[in-house]
Amino acid sequence: MTESADIAVEVVGLGKNYGAVTALKSVSFSIESGKYYALLGPSGGGKTTLLRLIGGFLRPSAGRVYLHGAEVSHLPPNRRPTSMVFQNYALFPHMTVERNVAYGLKLLRVPAGDIRDRVDRMLAMVGLEGYNRRMPHELSGGQQQRVQLARSLVLERDILLLDEPLASLDARLRKDMCLELKRIQEKVGITFIHVTHNQEEALTVADRIAIIADGELVEEGTARDVYETPDKRFTAEFIGDNNVLEGAVAAVFDGRVALDIGFAKVEVPAPPAPVPTGARAAFSIRSELLRIAGRGEDMGASWQVVPAEYVEDVYLGLTVSHLVRLPDGTEAVARQMSGESDGNRFEAGQEVAVGWPTDRARLHLA
Amino acid sequence: MYDDFASPWNIRLKWVYLLAVVFALLMPVFYTIGISFNQHGFGARIYEFTFDWYRVVLGDTLLVVSLKWTLYLAVATIAATIPMALLSAKFYKRTRRKVAFVALMLSPLFVPADIMGSSLLVFFKNLAKGFAWLGGALDVGWFDGWFDLGFLTAVIGQVIYTHPYAFIVILITMSRYRVQQTEAARACGATAWQAFWHVEFPQIRVGVFSSCAFVTILSFNEAVRTALLKGGFDTFSNMLVAQMLNIGMSGESYAMAGIMSIVSMLVIGSVIVYTLVRAERLERRARAMAEPVMSS
Repeated sequence: MTESADIAVEVVGLGKNYGAVTALKSVSFSIESGKYYALLGPSGGGKTTLLRLIGGFLRPSAGRVYLHGAEVSHLPPNRRPTSMVFQNYALFPHMTVERNVAYGLKLLRVPAGDIRDRVDRMLAMVGLEGYNRRMPHELSGGQQQRVQLARSLVLERDILLLDEPLASLDARLRKDMCLELKRIQEKVGITFIHVTHNQEEALTVADRIAIIADGELVEEGTARDVYETPDKRFTAEFIGDNNVLEGAVAAVFDGRVALDIGFAKVEVPAPPAPVPTGARAAFSIRSELLRIAGRGEDMGASWQVVPAEYVEDVYLGLTVSHLVRLPDGTEAVARQMSGESDGNRFEAGQEVAVGWPTDRARLHLA
Repeated sequence: MYDDFASPWNIRLKWVYLLAVVFALLMPVFYTIGISFNQHGFGARIYEFTFDWYRVVLGDTLLVVSLKWTLYLAVATIAATIPMALLSAKFYKRTRRKVAFVALMLSPLFVPADIMGSSLLVFFKNLAKGFAWLGGALDVGWFDGWFDLGFLTAVIGQVIYTHPYAFIVILITMSRYRVQQTEAARACGATAWQAFWHVEFPQIRVGVFSSCAFVTILSFNEAVRTALLKGGFDTFSNMLVAQMLNIGMSGESYAMAGIMSIVSMLVIGSVIVYTLVRAERLERRARAMAEPVMSS
């Protein structure tokens, strides 16, 4: 394992099988202490399995889990320095809010006076002062999740696992709670590992994001890296609103790759890995970087431009999506802020040009 | 589409039908209880209310002893059946082969009482012989009397009979329980037992206590298996059946039947009332939880 005092969580070759079904295939990564880490991916991809393996709720079929350098793969949840917030239904319905939050402290035989102080302090931190005597069913969904958070944080363990904690909340409340979680994490300074399938949620809260799909760790990096410069095609398709076009590598020169996409040759920045000529590859470009112009209009030397046919625009409130059809029939989306409305000057069926800044495209080898 | 609630008379008629069926089913029981309070017994033209038959029953040493044995049997059966049913229900929640498991658990219900009783009788007889042979072969006396017919064999027979009922009752209560709560308790530092005792048990307690009541009633009502497996003691139902077969129904027999019916109805009635009250409370809670989640 990695020798570093700052590593809170390290998993090495972690895998989980259910009979013939493989839920997680040999995943390895590490998380620095005090970071907000998101496990993001589609449903059924293995992210909750990974979280539950870290928490001790599942036994790994292969690999090891280290928490603060100590191997804990064989330990049950109550003997790990972690606590957990569940998606829902996890408050004890027969206990008041106060008793829910105090439960772990009572198990630790903390004196009653200290328990009261710590519970009150924690409820104040999650904005539930005065809710001590309420029963869980007397709380809204958001309040229930806050109680769960208080119940986990009051134990003062240094790793908090959050399994889709906001999934059952409405959109507005989810947004509020995202910011609240981030604020609390910064305040308490412990390591948060947050599982979600919602990219906006992950981008809002996380310092670093791991993309998990098909039981594998697809890609890992800072929120900005994963969004702006995705390495893998899957990441580009999963995060943000990317246009992905396929082609064959025609040439490699001066840090660029010339890609033949059938109806045009486009240049894409070359990745660090060697790119063999003739290989199948794809490139992605985010929809907000795509620009639409009339045929013949100059976009600049540093732009790649291809012909297209304007299809329609879709108003989405904050943004407007403009749909165009490329010569090979592929549809591409250009997104603009609603205020910057220059796309509506085109009619459906009109011949247009679509361009993007050359250095903002990402090449993905098959 | 036919609207069931369009006419209140539809609902009233359904209630009348339901009550008529229940009345028809319970009529013989109430009739028996009525006779048990008649000084002149069955078939008399005059009805004189009395507790005399009950006094006779409770003054009869043999009957009181049989009542005690029945109680011991009920307590021992509860002590064995309820933990087993609880474990079975917990296993059911975990296993992926649920249909096969339920079929296995309920299978004793599909064997007629006399077949089950006689099968166990033969089984225990042979088992006792086997242990006697083993003791003889090893030249030790430890195995003497193992599985001779008696209290233990009667309890085993009762456990096999009552386990499916207790399993079903506990399982129904447990179906409301969310396993995330156990995991949340573990994440708070609880051991598996603490998580069960502090979090799960309080929520399934009503099912466990209902099962205890059910097993008690079944122990009082069971006659065939215990008659075959009991060895040298008599239960209350054994005495009642024996009395009916030997001397026919006397005023005393009606009082014995009355005691069993009244106790059973009181126990079951209490469980039903408690369950209804609890269901109402849970429904209120569920309604509150189903309120749209609002930003707080």
